[in-house]
Amino acid sequence: MVGLPGDHVLSNLPLLAGLPDTRCTVLVSYDRKTGMRLQINFKSGMPIYLQVVDQIKAAAASGALRPGEVLPSIRPLAEELRVNRNTVAKAYSELESLGVIETLPGRGCFLKENHTALRKEVRRKLLTVEVDQAIVQAHHLQVPRDEFLALIHERMNALDHKRRSNENQTEDDQS
Amino acid sequence: MSSPSPAIQIESLSYAYGRAEAVRGLTLCVQAGRCYGLFGRNGAGKTTTMKCLLNLLRPQGGQVRMFGLDPARHEVDVKRRLAYVPDQVAFYPWMSVRETLDYLASFRAHWNRKTEHELLGRFRLDPAQRTGGLSKGQRTQVALIAAVCPETDLLVLDEPTSGLDPIVRREFIETVIGAYQEGNAGNRTILVSTHLITEFEGLIDEFTIIDHGLPVLTLASDQARESYRKIRARFAQSPPKLDLQGALRVRRDGRELELIANGAGAELMERLRQQNPEALTTESLTLEEIFVATLKS
Repeated sequence: MVGLPGDHVLSNLPLLAGLPDTRCTVLVSYDRKTGMRLQINFKSGMPIYLQVVDQIKAAAASGALRPGEVLPSIRPLAEELRVNRNTVAKAYSELESLGVIETLPGRGCFLKENHTALRKEVRRKLLTVEVDQAIVQAHHLQVPRDEFLALIHERMNALDHKRRSNENQTEDDQS
Repeated sequence: MSSPSPAIQIESLSYAYGRAEAVRGLTLCVQAGRCYGLFGRNGAGKTTTMKCLLNLLRPQGGQVRMFGLDPARHEVDVKRRLAYVPDQVAFYPWMSVRETLDYLASFRAHWNRKTEHELLGRFRLDPAQRTGGLSKGQRTQVALIAAVCPETDLLVLDEPTSGLDPIVRREFIETVIGAYQEGNAGNRTILVSTHLITEFEGLIDEFTIIDHGLPVLTLASDQARESYRKIRARFAQSPPKLDLQGALRVRRDGRELELIANGAGAELMERLRQQNPEALTTESLTLEEIFVATLKS
């Protein structure tokens, strides 16, 4: 939808209805090789390196990025997103310490096969924090329990769907 | 090579041109490896500050240290470790681009020919052309190439993109900074002054806003975007009377309320939420919006 592969696309986020923002606050990069799309939003309030970390984790979860696939190298990605090279480097080293990717000297950064180095209890604990936040948010937005649980199911199905369609795409590519 | 001292340390710097005070007690510190923005309106004191760092002007009050050294006493030691692109670029007009770069390279211990070749190509500059025939933008490009190729520890850029067209500006961001940071990113420091902040949004690690020669705000960019928030609320009727302490600015427009907050965003959101607004959104301010909000309040 946004631009051609490899294109450097600038888009605007509509903020509140009727108040479109005309400045470029969202920067997008598209990796031709893997089809992974990254998007930096300066208005999200989240540190830029964490936005990169989260999106690469999401790409890995949805299958847009597969084990063994090479990530875009730091300089071209930094140039495309127009962010500091150190920011991308920081994101990659964070991903490496989380065990999501590994760096092979001279060859680049790759998505790891089974990418969690953390013990099960630790993983549960980390996820609990995020779930709690979502529950608090649901309370404030007056989304009742059943609806909230249904939404979780729906989102998990959506991710599965995305993963399947990413898998089919590779089969198409190969045939 | 790298020393533990900050790349730049400015303490209570002041400088006046006759009776016109340009800088009045500026203090800031740039750690090695950072990309630091000096933001201010025209006449805020950005160029004067940079000239004091380069020993082009002698501080009249306070002091500056570059890599821990006094730039007036260790002029050569300091200058060999930095490259500077002034706001007004001038070359010998009879020299070609090639000759100009060779001439500038002759002052340097090191010169990356590969980067030079790459940047000449990306800027589509003809090495045989005389610099007298170059446009303002092309002259700036030559100056940028000359600043990046020696691969110094520090790059000082004074309004590097003003006067350039939007395409070239974007190219500048993508190529020049990328090329400069390529070799030894952890140690390559950039000090850039500008009032075109949006273009540098993703590059700046930390910044100081100066106004009338005084520092107004110094923050890390990520922290700034986390702390400064714009909150919009729309109510069914006109907005209720509310305690909006902690908001930097409040704007009422019919049924809508727009607040700018620094740090108190979450608390204000909660207070607004209790009034059951029809819509309630929040977003971070961009660095440019923070700049405007800071100088207006």
